[in-house]
Amino acid sequence: MYCYVYDEALQDRRFERELAQIETRLTDLGIAGKIARLALFREPIALIRDEIRNGVTTIVAVGNDTTLRRVIDAVDDKKTVVAFLPVGAQGDMAGLLGMPVGVAACDVLSARIVEELDAGDVNGKRFLQSVRMEGAHFTVHHGKQYVITPLRKASVEVRNFAVPDDVGVQNPVDGLLSLIIRLPKFSLFKNKTDIGIIPFETMTIAYEKSITASVDGDALQGKDFVFRVIPKALRLVTGKGRKF
Amino acid sequence: MAKGTGPETIIAFGVRLEGDLLAEGDIVIEGEVHGTVKTKGDLRIGDQALVEANIEATNAVVSGEIRGNITVHGKLELFPSSKMTGDVVTEVLAIGPGARVNGTINMGGVETAKGGKKRAAEAVNES
Repeated sequence: MYCYVYDEALQDRRFERELAQIETRLTDLGIAGKIARLALFREPIALIRDEIRNGVTTIVAVGNDTTLRRVIDAVDDKKTVVAFLPVGAQGDMAGLLGMPVGVAACDVLSARIVEELDAGDVNGKRFLQSVRMEGAHFTVHHGKQYVITPLRKASVEVRNFAVPDDVGVQNPVDGLLSLIIRLPKFSLFKNKTDIGIIPFETMTIAYEKSITASVDGDALQGKDFVFRVIPKALRLVTGKGRKF
Repeated sequence: MAKGTGPETIIAFGVRLEGDLLAEGDIVIEGEVHGTVKTKGDLRIGDQALVEANIEATNAVVSGEIRGNITVHGKLELFPSSKMTGDVVTEVLAIGPGARVNGTINMGGVETAKGGKKRAAEAVNES
């Protein structure tokens, strides 16, 4: 049974026609289901968990990256399948998962290619994409195995799943997270950045002072950040054009 | 060169690692490592890198400085800018002009006590 969780922004009249087309196409494909609408004072986690308790097996986030993140935060079991139906302006997730925007996504949803994706956990907060941290002095501890210290100013990112860039492609199904250390190098002719990449399962990044990390766009204050990978944490519907 | 089974690890220039760096995949070192380096994949040590460690890898290409023993199961290439202080055990060795090696080099098939021949890397692992 499907449940479609509509973002509150989709209440805007400019989406009426597109949503009507989507609902018609879903009915044609035989995958129509209950519609739940997110609203300002409606707690999304309770709403989605209620639907799962009532027998829903597939939760479809209809909207943008934020909508998908809210759905992922609410789905805490490995049985329920999560899907994304991108509508409106989009971030990275639609492209990463290979989901076209709008009505075309209905056919991809219907094909139902389910992948089991890893998630990351930082200080008890789950993330699908990445955690970015800016701050001067830090050390990285990989258990008792080794300690990493940057010798000059550096920024840190821990990735699970991201748009392919200068760092390359991160595989969200390999059971590992990647620590990325960027060290800018300034010279008279050309500025460049040295990039270090270290794959890991668990790791601690300790700062001298408290900093604010960006966990999939949400702020997280802290001094010590304990990371671990949660292998196969999510079952997500993906398209053939997925970036992993 | 053969690829390891895991993802690649890169220690960038400007980063120091102290401890045991163990990996399934290939390792690239451009910064500093103090401790042990061991991989089932290949190893590349950049020209600005400093590695004070005992090293084990399938194949290795060295342009930087190593202070420690290195065991390579396949081919070891020492580029002209490389400086090596320690013992080398490898099957195949290529040394560029100007590369410095201070230590013993053990390569190819080595004689065992029973008179048979063993690969150099296996003989050192057993000793």
